[in-house]
Amino acid sequence: MKHRLLALAIAAWGASLAMPAHADDAALKAEVEALRAEVAELKAQVQQMHAVQVAPAAAAVAQAAPPAPAATPPAAPNPGRSMADAATGNATSLWGYGQLDYNRPTARAADARADLTRAVLGFNHEFNETTRVYGELEWEHAIASADDAGESEVEQLFVEHALSPNYGVRVGLMLVPIGLLNEHHEPTQFYGVERNFVEQAIIPSTWREGGVAGYGTTDSGFQWDLGVVTSPDLGKWDPTSLDGRESPLGSIHQELQLSKAHDLSIWARLNWLGVPGLNIGGAVFAGKIGQDTSKQFEGDANFPADNSRLLVGEAHVRWQSGPWDFTALYTRGSISDTQDLNLSFLGQPTPVPKSFWGGYAQGAWRALEWNQSSLVPFLRYEAFNTGAAYASLPQGFEIPALPTQRVWTAGVNYYLTPNVVFKFDYQDFRYDDPALNYGNRFDLGLGFQF
Amino acid sequence: MRARWLLPMGAGAAAVAQVAHAVQYLTVEQAQRAAFANAAAFVPVAVDIDTAAIGAPAGWKPLMWRVQGDAGALGWFFEDAVVGKSELITYTLALDASGKITDLEILDYRESHGGEVRLAAWRNQFKAKSATDPVALDRDIRNISGATLSCRHLTEGVHRLLQLYAHVLAAKP
Repeated sequence: MKHRLLALAIAAWGASLAMPAHADDAALKAEVEALRAEVAELKAQVQQMHAVQVAPAAAAVAQAAPPAPAATPPAAPNPGRSMADAATGNATSLWGYGQLDYNRPTARAADARADLTRAVLGFNHEFNETTRVYGELEWEHAIASADDAGESEVEQLFVEHALSPNYGVRVGLMLVPIGLLNEHHEPTQFYGVERNFVEQAIIPSTWREGGVAGYGTTDSGFQWDLGVVTSPDLGKWDPTSLDGRESPLGSIHQELQLSKAHDLSIWARLNWLGVPGLNIGGAVFAGKIGQDTSKQFEGDANFPADNSRLLVGEAHVRWQSGPWDFTALYTRGSISDTQDLNLSFLGQPTPVPKSFWGGYAQGAWRALEWNQSSLVPFLRYEAFNTGAAYASLPQGFEIPALPTQRVWTAGVNYYLTPNVVFKFDYQDFRYDDPALNYGNRFDLGLGFQF
Repeated sequence: MRARWLLPMGAGAAAVAQVAHAVQYLTVEQAQRAAFANAAAFVPVAVDIDTAAIGAPAGWKPLMWRVQGDAGALGWFFEDAVVGKSELITYTLALDASGKITDLEILDYRESHGGEVRLAAWRNQFKAKSATDPVALDRDIRNISGATLSCRHLTEGVHRLLQLYAHVLAAKP
């Protein structure tokens, strides 16, 4: 029944894309004809004017250069890039970012760490004016091998096809359009050395899934996204590890690594950007995550949560005006049908939560600015709980909720240029938990983006 | 009840939508007409630009037109391109005869993210600005969260064109 609803939603979405076009076909044709006539007439006029007026115009300008390049009216509808690309074959561009961190817990100086957290290379290749492939390749912690702690990963890889300047379709591995950080995680884009906890522990960072998604904007300022994508895999839950307590979804998302794809999810996001400087909106990610584990060839025949469902919601508001930048975000997730699964995990340290949540408020102020540099102090308060509630178990076996972690972060982003940033901050935790890296600390960082 | 067929369905919907639509961007001529409905002529202008004097990259060469009406000069029209994150954004800028911005249009946006700079609400911030205004992101031009690089680079591009007008074109007859 729920699948049928999903199917209806997708079908309706497809139809809504296609139908206005059919309705407008006749009108469009007429308009194109009219435009053609107008363009032909204009061309003739321009050529006439060109012959008559370029000479006097050029003469009137004291330092007149050879008029040829500027005087030739653009012949193609989109000069600039498309023509340049055709001429030079330069349809591929590279971009990237990097992040280096130093963390020093005040009570455990022995645990101070310096890390090349991320080195990222991205590319964008245009097949033609409307179709491109976009990819992001990442190395974490400098070295990735069987003996090292690092990771090498494909973070995004999708083909995007614009159906109009206002909307299009993507297919591939994409970042989930939820929250403010997941899609825009370059270190120059956020305050503080580390990404905020809420958008690491509750919304995993970075969270990506494979599938098909539509995206677009409307003239009234709405930005929308709608996708059908792979789901996390609850079968991956490891009750012996602390990963699920650090980030419940981070421990079971699949990142298109031989992803179990029996169950799919949908994502939907709506932002309103109708007033410059304001971003207000929210997102939902929903789907089954049991993946029929008990029926898989290599699955666990006794897996009791085949029908488990995930629902994550998020809402945010950001206001940037002059030197001020204020943000507030709240997110909450729930996982259903975890009772029997948690019974099978009894005695293990990390059961599956029924609900988890987090929120933060942040203010930043560009206090100083000179040439291309600026100094931006900021303050952020976060509260989050990765195990706010657990499904009820028989008396005597109840799982108590985890304590809510609260973190104050105060620091400075010093932008040497808008794309190179040095960071310094101090983080104050409500409670220490060295196993999860919670504990008051100083952080130093360098980030860049090109 | 399995959901696997959803993926082909989504792709099918996309294919249908693609057949039904052709991508249409504003052409330079359309942008010119939109900015100056009563123009009699768009006269191409070529000048040597002292890029260092106006803080522009060497070799910078935007296309420029002097806009004439039946009763005299109406203003100026420019076409230029800036890099958003890694791809070029082609845009046009219209100035009235006194050098105030009347129109900013994005002709071509070819990046995966950041296309929100095409929103009219954002572009309208530039209206009536002139070379004496800061025209700087986070000062008199507000940002779009998630499209910072495109906002910054377009704002810098408009700033450059205003300086070009003030230093080179304003003095011309």
